[in-house]
Amino acid sequence: MRPHVDALPRGIPVALWLAAMLACAAVIVQARFTADLSAFLPAAPDARQQALIDQLKSGAAARTLLLGIDGGSATQRAQASRALAARLRASGLFEQVQNGESDAWVEVGRWVVEHRYLLSPAIEPRRFQSDGLREAIDDTVSLLGTPAGALAKPLLDRDPTGETQRIAEAALAGGGPRTEQGVWASRDGGRAVLLTQTRADGGDLDAQEAALGIIRSTFAALAPPGLALQATGTPRFAVDSRAQIRDEVSVLAIAGTVLMGGLLLAAFASIAALGVAMLPVATAVMAGVAAVALTFGTVHGVTLGFGTTLIGEAVDYAIYYLIQARSADATAAVAGGWRHWLRTGWPTVRLGLLTSICGFGALAFSGFPGLAQLGVFSIAGLIAAVLTTRHLLPVLMPDGARGVGLRRHLGRVALRLVTLLPRVRHLLTVLGLAGLVLLVTRHDRLWQAELSSLSPVPAELLQLDESLRADLGAGDSGTVIVVQASDVESALQRAESAAALLDRLVDEGQLAGYQSPTRWLPSRATQQRRQAALPEPAQLDAALAQATLGGPLSAARLAPFVDDVQAARAQAPLTLESLRGSAVAPLVSNLLFKRTDDGWTALLSLQPGAAAFDETALQRSLAGISGAQVIAIGDELRRLYRRYLGEAQAQALLGALGVVVLIALWLRSLPRVLAVCQPLALAVLLTMAGLTLLGVPLGILHLVGLLLVVAVGSNYALYFDLLRHQDSLDADTLASLLLANATTVLSFGLIAASDIPALSAIGRVVAPGALLALLLSAAYAPRVRRDSPSGSAV
Amino acid sequence: MKTPRPERLALLLATGLAFLAGPAAALELGELMAMLAQRRSGDARFSEQRFVSGLDQTLRYAGTLSFTAPDRLARHTQTPRAESFVVEGNRLVLERGGRSRQMQLDSQPELAAMVAAMRGTLSGDASALRQHFKPTVSGTPAQWSLTLVPLEYRLLAVVRQLRIDGTSSDLHTVEVQLADGDRSVMTIEPIPANPTLPLPPKPRASGP
Repeated sequence: MRPHVDALPRGIPVALWLAAMLACAAVIVQARFTADLSAFLPAAPDARQQALIDQLKSGAAARTLLLGIDGGSATQRAQASRALAARLRASGLFEQVQNGESDAWVEVGRWVVEHRYLLSPAIEPRRFQSDGLREAIDDTVSLLGTPAGALAKPLLDRDPTGETQRIAEAALAGGGPRTEQGVWASRDGGRAVLLTQTRADGGDLDAQEAALGIIRSTFAALAPPGLALQATGTPRFAVDSRAQIRDEVSVLAIAGTVLMGGLLLAAFASIAALGVAMLPVATAVMAGVAAVALTFGTVHGVTLGFGTTLIGEAVDYAIYYLIQARSADATAAVAGGWRHWLRTGWPTVRLGLLTSICGFGALAFSGFPGLAQLGVFSIAGLIAAVLTTRHLLPVLMPDGARGVGLRRHLGRVALRLVTLLPRVRHLLTVLGLAGLVLLVTRHDRLWQAELSSLSPVPAELLQLDESLRADLGAGDSGTVIVVQASDVESALQRAESAAALLDRLVDEGQLAGYQSPTRWLPSRATQQRRQAALPEPAQLDAALAQATLGGPLSAARLAPFVDDVQAARAQAPLTLESLRGSAVAPLVSNLLFKRTDDGWTALLSLQPGAAAFDETALQRSLAGISGAQVIAIGDELRRLYRRYLGEAQAQALLGALGVVVLIALWLRSLPRVLAVCQPLALAVLLTMAGLTLLGVPLGILHLVGLLLVVAVGSNYALYFDLLRHQDSLDADTLASLLLANATTVLSFGLIAASDIPALSAIGRVVAPGALLALLLSAAYAPRVRRDSPSGSAV
Repeated sequence: MKTPRPERLALLLATGLAFLAGPAAALELGELMAMLAQRRSGDARFSEQRFVSGLDQTLRYAGTLSFTAPDRLARHTQTPRAESFVVEGNRLVLERGGRSRQMQLDSQPELAAMVAAMRGTLSGDASALRQHFKPTVSGTPAQWSLTLVPLEYRLLAVVRQLRIDGTSSDLHTVEVQLADGDRSVMTIEPIPANPTLPLPPKPRASGP
C-alpha cells in the first residue's frame, strides 16, 4: 500500500476530490429540500394506516385551522369573530370559514330543503301512507307553539312531514360548540372560536403560511386593543416547524462551525491546520446531502440539522490524523509522519468507520423517513470524511499539524485522567450495577415516549390546540370509520351500511352523532330507492285526506307538499359532480376523496355520547361491510409507533451486535473484546439510567442515540486497546482522543439544546454518552507500564 | 272561636295598608326566590294547551314534570304521543318519534335560556333568571306571578314573554307567549310529596 501511495502524484487525490465535490454539488443544486412534518410521520405498513397518514398529511385536517379570540368583553369578541369571518370569507382563500353564525348556513338550509326527499333517512313507502303521514305530521306539529316551532312553521305547508328537520337533526347531532351572541364560544364563554379551511392543499406550506399571515393581519387590522388571536391546527404546526427547522439548521451549522473552529484553533494554534481539519467535515456534509438527495429525492431539514453532529464526528478523523501523524516526528522513530500514522492510527480509524457504519446502517432501514435519511446521510458523510482524511490530508499536511497550542495541556490532562480513572474503577462498576438494577426494576416503564415526542410541535401549542378542539366540541372523538372502495358509488353504499350501524349506537346513547358524506350525498341506489317511495299525486292526496282527518292540519293547505313530492320524483339524482360549487361541497369533500391509487375513501367521524362507546363491538359488526374499519386515530398512531419502536430496538441490537462482531474480527481475542465492550456497555447503562432517573421517557430517538454512543464510543475503547498493545501511553494520542471527544460532546451538546425534539433527544443521549464512553474506556483500560514522561508530556 | 273586634279591624287595616304601601310591602323577587329555593325537588302532572295560528285545533298535551335540584329537569309527555325532554347540567336528551338525540345545551342558546327560566324559577336562582330575562314579580306570597321578558334579541325574536303563576313554593301555570302571537299555557298540578294515600313508592323524597 505504501509504495502505491508513494507512486501517486500529489495532484491525483486533489483532482479526484475536486471532481467528487463537483459531482456532489451538481446533485445538491438539483435536490429538493423540505421541512414539512413528513419526516416525523412513519411510512405506514398497511393500506388502512396509509389512509390515516395520508389524511394527516393532506386531508381536511391538514387544511383546517382553529382560531380563538381571547380577551376583551364577550360583545367585543363576538363582533371581532363576525368581522374576521366576513373578511376571510370575502378573501376567497378559504373553502369554509365557520364561526357559528347561522347566516352561514342559510345556503346549506336552502339546498337541503330543495333536496330533502333525496336526503331524508325517513323516506320509505310507509311514510306516505295514511298512518305514516299522520305520525310524521303529529311529530312536526308537536313543535308548533314552542320556540322550537319557529323554524318548522314557515315550512309547514311544504314539509309537513318534517324531512328538513329530520336531516338537520342528524347532521347537527351533539349540538356543537357553545353559542354566545350568535357566534361560537368556548364552553366557559371566555373565548370566541372559529374554524377555517383553506382551498389550498394542506401539503402546500407556502399557501398555508400565506393563509395564516392573512388571518393574522386581518385580525390585527380589525381587533380593538385587548383582544388576542390564537391559531392552531396542522397547518400552523407545519408552517411553524418548517420555519423553526430552517432557523435552527442555520444556527446549528454556524454555531457548530464556530465552536469547532475555535476548539481546533486553540488545539493547533494554526489556521492552516484548522483549514485542513475542516476539509473532511465539508466533504462529509457535501457527500451526505448528495447521497440523501439521490436516495430519497428530497432532503429534509432535520437531516441537515443532524449534519451539525457530523461535523463533530468527521472532524475526529482529521484530529487523529493531524496529531498522530505529527507525533511520529516527536519520537522520530519513523520518517514521514503520515506513513507512521498509516501504520499505527489508520487501522483503528478504519475499524472505527466500520463500527460507525454498523450503527448508522441500522438507521437507514428505519420506517421513519427522517431517521432513514439520517442513516444514509451519516454513512455517506463518514465514508467521505475518512476517504478525505486517508488520501487528501497526507498530500496537504504530510507531517500532521504544525502548531502546538493547547495540545500539550490536553495531553497532560489526558494522562492525569488515565492515571486517576482506573483507581475509581470499582466505584464505576458499582454505579453501573446500580444503573442495571434501576433499569431492570423499571424495564416495563422505560420506553414510554409516544409518537408526539418525535413531533416538533411544542407542548404549549398542543395544549392550546386541544383546548380549542374541546371548545369546538364538534365531538372530535378521534375515532373514524374508514370505508374504502374502488368507485364512488360502492364507497357511498358501504358508508351507508356503516351509518345504519351507527344510527343504532346514537339511539343507545353510545354516540352523540357522527358525520358521514352520505348525509349530503347518498348513494345512487339509496336516492333511487327514496324516489321510488314517493307516491303519485292521486295516491298522496288520498292518503293525506285520510291522515289529516280530525287533525289540526287540513289537507287543503298541503297542496305545496304534494307539488314538492311530485317534483322530487323527477328530480335529477345528486352526484359528486352536481354538488360541485354547492353549499355542501366542502362538507362532502372532507369526508369523501379519491386516493392516490384511484380508489375512493369515505370517512365517518364519530362524536362520543354520554354512554361508554364499545369500539370492539362496532369493529365486530363492521366486519360484515367490506372495506370498512374503525380507526381510533390516537390508538392507531400509538400502535404504529410501538411497532416502529420494536423494529428500531431490533435494528439497534443488530447494529450493536455488528459493532461487537467487527471488533471481535479485528482483535481476535476474547479478553480484548470483553475489555473493549465493557466500557461501552457501561456507558450505555449509565446514560439510560441517568435519563430514567431524570424522568425522561425513552423513545426511538433515544435508542438511536444509544446506538451512536456505541458506534462512537467503540473508537475510544479501541484506541485504549491499541495503546495498551503499544505498551506505552503516548500523550499525543491521548490528546487527540480527548480533543475528538470534546468535539463530539460539543456538537451533540449543541443539538441537545435544539428545540426540535428529534434532534435534542439524540443530542441529550449522545453528548453525555460519548463523554462517559471516553472516561470509562480510560478507566477500564488495562493498566500498563508507562514510559517515563516523554515526548510532549512533562 | 271569636276574635275580638278591635284586633280584627287592626288586621284588616294592616293588610290594606300593606297593599297601599306599594313596593315596600309587595312581594319582591328576592323574597319569591328565597321561598322557591326551599323546594329542592318535586314531581307534577301537567296539561298543556297550545294556541297556534293557522291550525284548526288547539293542541293539547299531558304528562309529567320532575325537577331535582340543582339542575335536572324532565318533561315526559304521555299524550297524545310519548316524548321526553330531559336536561341535566349542560346535557340535553330528547326522545321523539322513537329516536333519541343528545346535545350540549349551550350550543342552543335560545333553548338554554328557556331552560334557565324554568330551572331558575324552580330553584329560586335570581341571577340565572337575570342573565337572560328581565324579571317582574307581582302578587303576594300566597298568590304570585313572575313575568320574564327576554334580554337577548335573538330570543326576543321568538319569545315575547313568559309568565309563571304560583302559590307559595308551588308553580301553577306557565304561559309562554311567542312573538308571532302563538302561545302555550301549561297547568301544573303537584303530585303530593308526602302522600297519606297509598301511592307507589317514589325513588326520591320530595322537599317540603
